[in-house]
Amino acid sequence: MRITNNMLIENMLSNLNRNLARVSRHQNQLSTGKKISLPSDDPIIASRALKLRTDVAEIEQFKRNVNDAMSWMEITETTLKQIGDVLHRARELTVDAANGTKTQEDMEKVKVEIMQLKTQMTHLANTTYSGRYIFSGFKTDKPLMDEDGVFQIDISNAERIFYEIGIGDDMDINVTGSDLFHNGSNSAAAGTKSSLIETFDELISALELEDEEALSAALDRIDVDIDNVLRVRSAVGARMNRLELTANRLDDDLINFTKLMSKNEDVDIAEAIMHLMNEMNVYNASLSVGSKVIQPTLVDFLD
Amino acid sequence: MSSSTFFGLDIATRGLYTAQRGLTNVNHNIDNINTPGYSRQVLEQRASRPVLMASGSGMLGTGSEVVAVNRMRDEYLDTKYRSEAQYLGEWYVKYTLLEELQVMYNEPSDSGFNTVLNEFYNSLQQLSTDPSSPAARAALKERAMMLTKYFNSVANHFEYLQNDINEIIYAKVQEINSLADQISKLNMQIYNYEVTGNAANDLRDQRGNLVDKLSQLINIDAYEVSYGKLPNGKDDMRFVVAISGKALVDHNNVYHLAVTQRENKLNEQDIPNLYEVSWADGNKLAVKSGELKGYLDIRDGNDGLNGSSDFRGIPYYMRKMDDFVRVFARTFNEGIIDINGDGVLDKVAGHVDGYKLNSVEGDPASGIRFFTMLDQYGNPMSSAEFAEAGGSDPGGPDYDAMYSRITAKNFSISLDIYDDPTNNICISGAAEQVGNIDVLRSLIDLRHNTYMFNEGSPEDYIKTIISCMGVDGQLASHYLDNQTVLTKQIDNRRESISGVSVNEEMGNLVRYQHAYKAAAKMIQTYSEILDILVNRLGI
Repeated sequence: MRITNNMLIENMLSNLNRNLARVSRHQNQLSTGKKISLPSDDPIIASRALKLRTDVAEIEQFKRNVNDAMSWMEITETTLKQIGDVLHRARELTVDAANGTKTQEDMEKVKVEIMQLKTQMTHLANTTYSGRYIFSGFKTDKPLMDEDGVFQIDISNAERIFYEIGIGDDMDINVTGSDLFHNGSNSAAAGTKSSLIETFDELISALELEDEEALSAALDRIDVDIDNVLRVRSAVGARMNRLELTANRLDDDLINFTKLMSKNEDVDIAEAIMHLMNEMNVYNASLSVGSKVIQPTLVDFLD
Repeated sequence: MSSSTFFGLDIATRGLYTAQRGLTNVNHNIDNINTPGYSRQVLEQRASRPVLMASGSGMLGTGSEVVAVNRMRDEYLDTKYRSEAQYLGEWYVKYTLLEELQVMYNEPSDSGFNTVLNEFYNSLQQLSTDPSSPAARAALKERAMMLTKYFNSVANHFEYLQNDINEIIYAKVQEINSLADQISKLNMQIYNYEVTGNAANDLRDQRGNLVDKLSQLINIDAYEVSYGKLPNGKDDMRFVVAISGKALVDHNNVYHLAVTQRENKLNEQDIPNLYEVSWADGNKLAVKSGELKGYLDIRDGNDGLNGSSDFRGIPYYMRKMDDFVRVFARTFNEGIIDINGDGVLDKVAGHVDGYKLNSVEGDPASGIRFFTMLDQYGNPMSSAEFAEAGGSDPGGPDYDAMYSRITAKNFSISLDIYDDPTNNICISGAAEQVGNIDVLRSLIDLRHNTYMFNEGSPEDYIKTIISCMGVDGQLASHYLDNQTVLTKQIDNRRESISGVSVNEEMGNLVRYQHAYKAAAKMIQTYSEILDILVNRLGI
């Protein structure tokens, strides 16, 4: 086939261009660290990258939710412990007062302390976390009960707050006032007196009347209340365990998905450098050979 | 008897002229090595008509003569080149423009749609862990604005691009018309010259070059037809350039293309008054390939809808985004979605069913729509004004009438949310319950509902769009590579046949130089012979 000089030059230029395009692609990969810069470079990688980024972002958000849930529940647990402590102290005092050896002065002192415990209990019922009343169900801007233990709001077990801690996985993080302070009932209307506080009232009146029968009845009531608090506390403990397990699982998931995301779209630096050097060699070779081939013509040799 | 006295000089002179013609030809070829479209010229040299010897002792040669200067050109390869160059033009345009479209979406990246949607949903989740916090509500408003402004921005960019392509189409049509004019002028020049029986080599080269340029712009057929016979017995060949069967250039007649502004939009998403390309005499123009087709497809292509071309161009992607914001807004606002995949739209809790943060016992559901649109002044529309279009039918508002007005360009949060995010973000399922997040949970669940769109959940929808664009772009890139290689190969063959080789011309140079020297030597010899004859013999 007849070959002209222009053909040689054209072919050399188009091959150089193709080489340079490959060099440019590898250099781009190295400088961005990503395998693709546009979806059209590899649509499958692009599509997977979008999915994995969403997954990672969701997991990170779930981790934040789990942390918020743990904080709330830790406050709940501490408060429950304090409530338990108050009830135990009340029980101690009651047992002591019911042994029949107390004078009226002693009963008076016990009564004063029981009244203090009652006030502390109502304050505990209105515990807040970050400005929200934790036992008020959905009405987190309103306190649960007043100084006398009367519910200020309607409260029911339907008002459980659910946080999302995984896809399709949520957990209720609060304890409702009706469950804890009204002996495990499902709901309590505003204006009713909390049964837990009523126990204290009965205790106080029993101490005032120095009625031994009333005192032992009150003791029974305290025991029932302590059991109720323990029940709620173990439920909260179980939920916190589940939260911890979830947190661990989310940590693992985050690592896995981040790894997948990186494997999908990040370029292996060593491999990319090797490819780049390879292409550079080819480019240099074609430059040097091309320059030697296109220059001489017959004109140089005719005199 | 013998030939005439000066016959030898005659022959030698002819030799000189032939060699001179040869040298001129070599000169011409070498000068035009880099002229685009040039075909090398070759002398057709023949021994001149021999003379019959009266003595019957054979024919007497009379030297050489140049009969013609031929242009080395394979017309078949020209036709083949033009039929491939049109696709090269088309796919080059589509490849570069699809790249531009992909850059506008900017995915996958840390600032593209995926990230914006993720952050919006993250802020919803943050709100769920602290529903009464004004800070969380303000953050939600900001993220929602980021989402709507992303769509506004992409839509605007698409519109600018569509406008730019429109202008380019105008320019290309002018270019086509101008090339057609030049070709027809050359037609006349070539015709007038060739009527005398010669070949107009350089003019044909110029015309061929122009036709090559034209073939990249639009699909053409270029050929010569015979109109009968000339008085000198040769065919009367006239050159025609036709587009899809109708002549653009016919000998010295030019039929221009024209652009007219469309009165009615072809696609709902188009900017108004786009150019329609047709023949100047009003006939419809069928553009099958070439750069013009590339531009038209990208500007008008809506995947076959409304009679537009099958290509997925700007209107297609605009339509997909418009559909997305409409369904997303309707689902988020009203809670209307096919929740269980049975094909029937159900109603779950949407933003309109939520209660305001400062609601009191006995208040009705807020009826506030979170997403509305920008009004004609560019301000967010209030939820009440937006809902007016739905009518007041007690059976329920006309959601189609309300939401079909939303486009990606005017997508926005409502004025109510803009002015007072603390109170007007309605995520509570009951009045006066600030910790209630029933409605919010329903909204968050919608994220993973795969029945929201045909393509699945919102993220699936966007993934489908990006994949579509990616695949189209990859296809265009492959077609472009193939066409480049193909046209290069044909061009190579053309160059092989028609190109000037320096070595060859140098060889010819030496050859003709020798011939010239030899002929000059002959003249010198004859001169000496005549000298003897004239000066030495006789007195």
